[in-house]
Amino acid sequence: MKELIEELKTEIIDVLNLEGMTPADIDENAPLFGEGLGLDSIDALELIVLMEKNYGIKLANANEGKEIFKSVKVMAEYIKEHRTK
Amino acid sequence: MGKHNFDIESYCRITNDKVVVNNELLMQKGESGDWLADIYHHIGMQYPKFFKMDHLCKVGTLAAELVLKDKTFDRETVKADWAVILMNSASSLDDDRQYQETIRDRENYYPSPSIFVYTLANIVTGEIAIRHKIGGESSFYVFEHFDGARMDELVARAFDDNPELNTLLCGWVDYDTDGCDVLLCSFIRKESKESSENIAEYLNQLYKNQ
Amino acid sequence: METTERNHIIYAIGEGVVSPLGFTASTVYEAVRNGERAGRAHEGTFGLPEPFFASLLDEARLKNAFSALWDYGCDGYTKLEMAAILAANQAIEEANIAPDRDNVIFILSTTKGNVELLEDNPYEPERLYLWHTAQMVADFFDNPNTPIVVSNACISGCAAQIEAFRQLRHAGYRYAVVVGADMLSKFIISGFQSFKALSPELCKPFDGSRRGLNLGEGAAALVYTIDDPGTELPAGTLVAEGEAICNDANHISGPSRTGEGLLRAIQKATKGYDTSRTAFINAHGTATPYNDDMESIAIHRAGLQDIPTNSLKGYFGHTLGAAGILEVILSAHALRNGIVLASAGTEEPGTAADIHICLETKPVQGDGFLKLISGFGGSNAVLRFSITK
Repeated sequence: MKELIEELKTEIIDVLNLEGMTPADIDENAPLFGEGLGLDSIDALELIVLMEKNYGIKLANANEGKEIFKSVKVMAEYIKEHRTK
Repeated sequence: MGKHNFDIESYCRITNDKVVVNNELLMQKGESGDWLADIYHHIGMQYPKFFKMDHLCKVGTLAAELVLKDKTFDRETVKADWAVILMNSASSLDDDRQYQETIRDRENYYPSPSIFVYTLANIVTGEIAIRHKIGGESSFYVFEHFDGARMDELVARAFDDNPELNTLLCGWVDYDTDGCDVLLCSFIRKESKESSENIAEYLNQLYKNQ
Repeated sequence: METTERNHIIYAIGEGVVSPLGFTASTVYEAVRNGERAGRAHEGTFGLPEPFFASLLDEARLKNAFSALWDYGCDGYTKLEMAAILAANQAIEEANIAPDRDNVIFILSTTKGNVELLEDNPYEPERLYLWHTAQMVADFFDNPNTPIVVSNACISGCAAQIEAFRQLRHAGYRYAVVVGADMLSKFIISGFQSFKALSPELCKPFDGSRRGLNLGEGAAALVYTIDDPGTELPAGTLVAEGEAICNDANHISGPSRTGEGLLRAIQKATKGYDTSRTAFINAHGTATPYNDDMESIAIHRAGLQDIPTNSLKGYFGHTLGAAGILEVILSAHALRNGIVLASAGTEEPGTAADIHICLETKPVQGDGFLKLISGFGGSNAVLRFSITK
């Protein structure tokens, strides 16, 4: 799990172009949207692509993402359970 | 020549090898591979969103930052008396090509929403409007070449048509396979009076002098 | 220009439409009047892995129509260029003007031009450039002036009409031919799919259960001219009376939650105007949850919540660069007939603010209408028109 969380942090920084951030800067329990990293709706859509591309998980709509993208930890737990690759 | 109801307050010229602001050479391209990021760091901009943008929006955002850097204005509220009108030749083709790469391969087909959102030429006017809270007109035109007379006409009629307009960012913001080509000016309203100045020619000079 | 005192009038003298619903403005109006909807489910089209709903132009029909116009056939022309030229040709013929004269300016509204050529381009590389597309159209009619391209995302069609008004007022042209066109492709559909913006069924503008937009192909054209204010106009003439473009300064893809930019544009375009003259509002009404909510908020804040409001997207989808022109043409037809068209696809209106959505076609009072449109980049445009008695 720890490994997956670290991997996810690196991927998020990369696909969302979070300039100047390192995995250590992301608190795995902090909310990704709103206050936390200040991500917006396009970032959420890009995270949906990340889920499919890297883990083979297809999310039908952005609303599903809302629950899953609560924090890196929640995301990692979801991936662990549903990944197909 | 003729009657003028505006003044050029400031200008910025960005090409592949240098940045000129109001006749001063601000910087020249160094060894680093990322010219637009170099400019961003050089001017001490703090705007993480910059790194999410495509090239066209990056270079437009940098140019707007530079033409407005010494201007005193309300940065907190949306200003209905400001407008941003831009033109170029390649519309959003640079980003279009990048988006196409995300859908080209059937086996590796992952259309990217964060690239797709920039596949519209006028997004750069939106990014500049957001950064500087510009609530008046935002428009984008496409022409084969830069033309000072065209730009002069766009500016003059914008001030004529819209009595509310006080500050206008207008210029050429292009990004294509051969890199960037930008001349952005900020124009302010003045009382209309006869002047011998040839603004079209002046703009052509700014563009040519690099 | 939001002042009410003007020393000229600008009005339309020709119109043209190329749509899956028909190849002239009148046939498309009749189809819409009869409630026809062009949206269909497509599977495997454009090589897309996922199905989608859209209104597509039949290429064979387009080629036939183009060949009938042009002796040399359609070789060398893309679908977009053919549709744009056909629409422009109808408008020019109706206007009865000589397009090769230097008092005519061509203005093209398009968001993506020939972008599908990025996949495979059998033509010269310039064909990907929007200025080149505009030049192809202007050249077809032997027009000597450099054409203008307006590319302002979804508001392009209205922004191009505003550009036409400005060219007529300031640049000395007598006629402006405004053409809007966009064709669909793997590029455009996949992008909207990645945005999760497409409806999995026929779209339902302003409906409480709307699930997104349908895209549509089409081209539409208007010829505008300028005259002295006292000029006698034939009954039923479409007269441009007010216009505005305002930015939300909020987000590049998400509409403002408060409808700020659209509200400012409505206020500017209707300044000094007695809004009781407004027969109806033709809204953008894409049927995405956010757009329709935003429009309802802006309309309500502007105090126009009781004016009948419709969206025409249910008939032919969102036609991108053609939308602002096509919808003005159809709204003008409706008002000439004293009616407002039903908002196709709307069953139970349900938006953030309560407004008067037209569920069925019905008679209206008033001689004017408002066209609203909003799009990516945070831009909003409003046009105000009247129809002469």
